[in-house]
Amino acid sequence: MTTVTPSPLLEARGLTKRYGDTLALDTLNLSVGAGEVYCLLGANGAGKSTTINCFLDFVRPDAGSAMIGGTVAAQDPIGTKRRLAYIPETVMLYSNLSALENLEYFATLATGGRPVRAELAQHLRTAGLTDTQLDQRVGGFSKGMRQKVGIAIALAKGADVLLLDEPTSGLDPKASNEFHRLLGLMRDRGAAVLMATHDLFRAKESGTRIGIMKAGRKVAELRADEIGHADLEQLYLTHMHD
Amino acid sequence: MLRTIASKEYRELLRDGRFRWAGGIVAGLLLVAGLAGFIAWREQAAQRDAAQATMQATWFNQPPKNPHSAAHYGLWAFKPQMPLAFVDRGVDPYAGTASWLEAHRMNEFRFRPAMDATAAQRFGEWTAAGVLQQLIPLLIILLGFSAFAGERERGTLRQLASLGVPTATLLRGKALGVTAALAVLCVPAAVIGAALVTMSSGASGLLRLGALSTVYLAYFGVILTVVLVVSAQARSARAALVTLLALWAANGLLVPRVAADVAQAAFPTPTAREFQAQVQRALATGIDGHSPRGARADALRDSVLRTNGVSSVDSLPFNYDGFAMQRGEEHANEVYAHYFAQLWDRFGQQDRAQLVGTVVAPVIAVRFLSMGIAGTDFGQHRAFAEQAEAYRQEFNRVMNHEIRDQARADESFSYQADSTLWRSIPAFTYEAPSLGHALATHTVSLTALGAWLVLAALLVRRERRIEVA
Repeated sequence: MTTVTPSPLLEARGLTKRYGDTLALDTLNLSVGAGEVYCLLGANGAGKSTTINCFLDFVRPDAGSAMIGGTVAAQDPIGTKRRLAYIPETVMLYSNLSALENLEYFATLATGGRPVRAELAQHLRTAGLTDTQLDQRVGGFSKGMRQKVGIAIALAKGADVLLLDEPTSGLDPKASNEFHRLLGLMRDRGAAVLMATHDLFRAKESGTRIGIMKAGRKVAELRADEIGHADLEQLYLTHMHD
Repeated sequence: MLRTIASKEYRELLRDGRFRWAGGIVAGLLLVAGLAGFIAWREQAAQRDAAQATMQATWFNQPPKNPHSAAHYGLWAFKPQMPLAFVDRGVDPYAGTASWLEAHRMNEFRFRPAMDATAAQRFGEWTAAGVLQQLIPLLIILLGFSAFAGERERGTLRQLASLGVPTATLLRGKALGVTAALAVLCVPAAVIGAALVTMSSGASGLLRLGALSTVYLAYFGVILTVVLVVSAQARSARAALVTLLALWAANGLLVPRVAADVAQAAFPTPTAREFQAQVQRALATGIDGHSPRGARADALRDSVLRTNGVSSVDSLPFNYDGFAMQRGEEHANEVYAHYFAQLWDRFGQQDRAQLVGTVVAPVIAVRFLSMGIAGTDFGQHRAFAEQAEAYRQEFNRVMNHEIRDQARADESFSYQADSTLWRSIPAFTYEAPSLGHALATHTVSLTALGAWLVLAALLVRRERRIEVA
């Protein structure tokens, strides 16, 4: 009997990016399959965000390729973006529009269809907003509430790939916990998640695999369930001090 | 998708206090300029009609007098108010709208409002055309400068770009949204304008209004595209605003002024004094400068005597003075036609030279088209002047022929005609060039505006990738 390995939803092959004299990414290889949460750890400037930007085609690699569902992002940026949802450090929304109006706007553009308002409202509720908050303009929303709208966008889009760039940075522990609960929800629905983070604890708790980056290179990769919190921290610090 | 982007842009703009203030002011100015222009237009039309009627009655009711005295008494030709002159007064305030038609001379136009303007008016008079050419583009800049640059600064562009929306779609959607917001401001003014034009001028006025609206829509389309493309390329909203304000100043103020000065320098026109001196010299010595008045008169008399086989003008079968005056008129007509054509051709050359500036400032083409469609450009001023001059020549011919055919040899200047002669002169009517003809004289401006539209379309197509950070 032969086993068929499904092709990863996210894959970086020899990804290299240089900014002047600085090598931001150095032949990076990684892959994330369906239902997997891959956490990228590393100091500022390690190349985590550049990796995510390559998948988003915000940055064009000098060599190698960032692929989504087997398609090179740089070759079909529109097509690959249709499959993904992106949640940055702070989800930026239109402050003059309500949460529901923001979601309606982004969901319509993401799907090309006309989403049902009731379903959108449900996505916002699932993401943790109250009924009163749905029609409030997001100008006064906290960061945590904005991240919830970001999750709702991903839910409404039905994305099977999630790119998260330090999404819980600056969130209070409760909001962070809530966010990771939602992340688990997305993972259970079969999404492939690539998350850049500084949060070792959450990486261990939510991640399936963890990659540690330094100076544009992946210096370590391990399964989250094969390492304890303390060992992960020790490993991370060791690499950072090298 | 386009509709979604447009509707969101529109909704956001309407909720933006800056838009409400700036838009309200511009829409108010447009309405006030249009309504004030229309009221002035109606008053001037009434004054013109009253003056025309008074002048006609005075002419008809002249007591019996010598036809040559009547020719010196003269008539007035008043330029009728064109349907859209209240939108764009064009060259009328500077070129004049009435001409005194008399024997021997082709007069310059009189009643130029610019001559009576106060010092404040010299800073520029607000007309609807001024608002459309200067303030609406400024409003478009205020509405659109942050369309991309502002989103980039706020971080929403990153979110938007991650959705897989083609850049051109985003650009078109934003353009539609700004257009819809602008329509909220401009459509009421356009509807009121259409109602006023329908009341005052009927279908022909509406046709012109349609053409004028098309030109301005095309102009706004070009401006909007440039605004959005600059916003997409600028590093920050502030940089976009500064760049666009500089472009606005260049388009609306600097380049048209420089183009006019360069055109004047390249194709200089004589001063009024020089022009009159040239004409007087030619009247005295002929256009070639070698036909003095006395010699011409002697040659004419000798030729007439020889042709008719008589030795004295008293023996001619017609009044020689009437005949000679008409010949003198024809010579003067030739001189005036020559020098005015030269002067007007120069103005035409200046206009065409100014159009070079449209390469960088589309407003120049729009100005010419706007005046052309409104019937207030220089070409239509010239058409009126030429028709008035033809009327003057014909009315002088009738007066001179009356003396030639009716007066005895010894009563050239004592012969008196009555109202039968005065009434044989039909009232002056001006046949304004059709809209098609007016547009045909502005093919360069039309082509230039078309080229700007094509360029705008190419810019939209070229915007494939927008930097998100």
